[in-house]
Amino acid sequence: MASKAFKEIDLNMGPQHPSTHGVLRLKVSIDNEVVLHVEPVLGYLHRGMEKLWESQTYHQIIPLTDRLDYLASLSNNLGYCLTVEKLAGIEVPKRAQYIRVILAELQRLASHLAWIGFMANDVGAMTVLLYGFEARESFLDIFETYAGGRLTIHGMRLGGVPFDLDETVIGMIRKVLETTPKWIADIEGLLTDNRIWRHRTEGIGIIPQSDALENGLTGPCLRAAGMAWDLRRDLPYSSYEDFDFDIPVRTASDVLDRYFVRMEEMRQSLRIVRQALDRLPAGEHIAKVPRTLRIPPGEIYHSIEAPKGELGFFIRSNGTDKPERVKMRSPSFINLMSLEQMCKGNLFSDIVGVLGSLDIVLGEIDK
Amino acid sequence: MNKVRRFLRAFFLVDIVQGLSITLRHYFGRKVTVQYPEVVKSLPPRFKGMLRLFRDEAGEPLCIACKACQRICPSHCFDIEGVRPEGSKVMRPTKFDWKLDRCTFCGLCVEVCPTDAIRFSETFRMSALGKDKLHFHLPDMYLRGEELQSHLCSGCLK
Amino acid sequence: MTGKAFLFELLIPVIKIVAVILYPMIMVVVMIWLERRVVAWIQGRIGPNRVGWQGILQPFADAFKLFFKEDIIPREADKLLFNIAPILVMFSTLLAFCFIPLGESFRIGTYTLHLRIADSPVGLLLVLGLSSIGVFGIIFGGWASNSKYPLMGALRSVIQILSYEIPIGLTVLTVVFLSRSMDLVRIVESQREGGVWFGLLMPVSFVVFWISGIAETNRAPFDLPEAENELVAGYHTEYSGMKFAYFYIAEYAHMVLVSSLVVILFFGGWLPPFPSIKAFAFLHWIPGFVWYLIKIMFFLYLYVWIRATFPRYRFDALIKLVWKWFIPLSLANFLVVVALRYVL
Repeated sequence: MASKAFKEIDLNMGPQHPSTHGVLRLKVSIDNEVVLHVEPVLGYLHRGMEKLWESQTYHQIIPLTDRLDYLASLSNNLGYCLTVEKLAGIEVPKRAQYIRVILAELQRLASHLAWIGFMANDVGAMTVLLYGFEARESFLDIFETYAGGRLTIHGMRLGGVPFDLDETVIGMIRKVLETTPKWIADIEGLLTDNRIWRHRTEGIGIIPQSDALENGLTGPCLRAAGMAWDLRRDLPYSSYEDFDFDIPVRTASDVLDRYFVRMEEMRQSLRIVRQALDRLPAGEHIAKVPRTLRIPPGEIYHSIEAPKGELGFFIRSNGTDKPERVKMRSPSFINLMSLEQMCKGNLFSDIVGVLGSLDIVLGEIDK
Repeated sequence: MNKVRRFLRAFFLVDIVQGLSITLRHYFGRKVTVQYPEVVKSLPPRFKGMLRLFRDEAGEPLCIACKACQRICPSHCFDIEGVRPEGSKVMRPTKFDWKLDRCTFCGLCVEVCPTDAIRFSETFRMSALGKDKLHFHLPDMYLRGEELQSHLCSGCLK
Repeated sequence: MTGKAFLFELLIPVIKIVAVILYPMIMVVVMIWLERRVVAWIQGRIGPNRVGWQGILQPFADAFKLFFKEDIIPREADKLLFNIAPILVMFSTLLAFCFIPLGESFRIGTYTLHLRIADSPVGLLLVLGLSSIGVFGIIFGGWASNSKYPLMGALRSVIQILSYEIPIGLTVLTVVFLSRSMDLVRIVESQREGGVWFGLLMPVSFVVFWISGIAETNRAPFDLPEAENELVAGYHTEYSGMKFAYFYIAEYAHMVLVSSLVVILFFGGWLPPFPSIKAFAFLHWIPGFVWYLIKIMFFLYLYVWIRATFPRYRFDALIKLVWKWFIPLSLANFLVVVALRYVL
């Protein structure tokens, strides 16, 4: 009797919802609490970025890439700059490459701290949100002292980085290498062994590795599915091959494993930053790139390992100082397509947990 | 043996107590609240506050109306016109319109300026009571501090 | 009857009634402030500190705001039930406070002042029964809102509350068994005679009762039916303004009620620690109800501390927890207590 009355309800988790990490609309259809279909409806944050870029010069696009994944803007900058440099044949000095690695890894830490804060808050542990963000403050302070911005940082230029690392910034980075492990330990102490966290994340949102590869899932979600694939190690860019770090891989491919992968990635990022800071070579922090950069006609696709997954840029140039076409492969958009498969068969209350574990940012999805 | 240990840990709520002890430690720990507006955090030197035009030590304006900032700005915030006054080696702006509501604070104009005329200031309270207040013209671009704050808004934070 | 005695007979009950309404209200006001400050302190920030000294006027500001909000009633709602629901929840909780003693009786001259309104040999049973009547308010609220989300939330709340009543009843049974009475005053007195608090004697009972009490009051980590992050926002979705304030106040008053029960049943009520050991007799200088308040404040702190620390249980796990673990555990616990009582 009860199952008849509640058969196949269509629910709408509307664009305004505390847990959808932005303006995401999910059309969910459930049968007595069990999820049957999840259909994401996108576009509420579409700003026409890719079209806008066709009328901007290569230099002018960099601050606009900040606004894609706004929680990890330096990664977007890096991805774009590397792609243009590869297309134009610009050589980046070694010191600049190391500084880029430091900035990118610090950004990865900040992004993952924001992620764990949001995800724990969705599941109910609201204190972890505040702890994650307080730990993230130190990173934002570093970015503010380095480039002036906290969220939309514009911290990379074509050919290198805008400023050299001075003593203040290096001191702040060294301090953060000391304090962050304590925050990570506190967050893990609150979550990892906790029976309620385990109950909400273990065995939820499973996707087999073959399906993950077919869907194009990348980033920590793929590594939690058992595939040891990380662009920093397998297709290295910007001197990542000089550094010694481990790639965390887990096999159960549920929400708990994604949590473990990202927490371990944070520790490995600290390791990379320490190595880069210790071995920082002398040199220029930027190569000489003309203000009006004209790139002869050509095409290129290049991708990096952003905190959310494989972030790629496809650029077609036409000889002028503005690109002909820029297409961005946003990791969150592709990862979101696996949401339905992950949620099928789980309960309705788990959708929020799975969505949190995917780590999506709507700015990146809707461009 | 492992199972017995796990059962005992679960029965005696070990993980619960561990979580509670972490939050208890933070309860007695440092609080990071800054009592704004009585206390304002100190801003780093490269802080991206509002843009404004600067003068040199002698008090002479630095801007030479080269329009490099206008060309580089991705958001088309600038509208500049300049002439070379009689007996002067450099051009001077006759019109320098800047729209605060279009600016994305990317800093490209600051980087390309050949004379370091336009720079970020420390002003971050940029709210105004009308859109016209957000469109700056030539004399307003040299405002700073209290005068700038009064120009933008009547200073409700007093 | 002389005029003086008449005054006593009339005035004292009136004062007590006013006190019984004021006591939970004041505790609720304190709770609202305490919750926001303690959660903030745990999270590394300060919490409200602008409205009044250290923010103590914040609850009044919140109440003020709610008072002036528009009272919206959905068009198709069942008006009678919609309006009765918040009253029912408030009423049952406040009525239960009549039976809670606040301290031991003391003499003023020839008159014995009992610090409770109603003197009943089955006070405990009445308190538990009254807090169950509040469930009707929840059902009415969910039903009368005429919307599927509040209805689902209300049903979940009701299942949760009814399921967790069972371990509460079973653990309370162990206390009643040891103290041979359901009168709350007698229960505290038997802890004094025994010389040890029941909570220390039967820790399993205490822990199960406490956790079930948290689930009864729909507090974290058992607050899925009313959490904002979930789609189903609970039975009070459609309520605004003062009616919502009633639900809100009733929830906090229920928390104070559960804390009072825990203190009386398991922690010696108004007794100081080690009540029968002569060495600690100096603790008796502090009056009983001060001890009582200290202990209640500890449990209220515990409520907030637990809320700030843990994630939320999913609804099916919540129900599995009570039926698979708490009820068998409390049954086994009762049998063990009975067995030990007869052996020792």
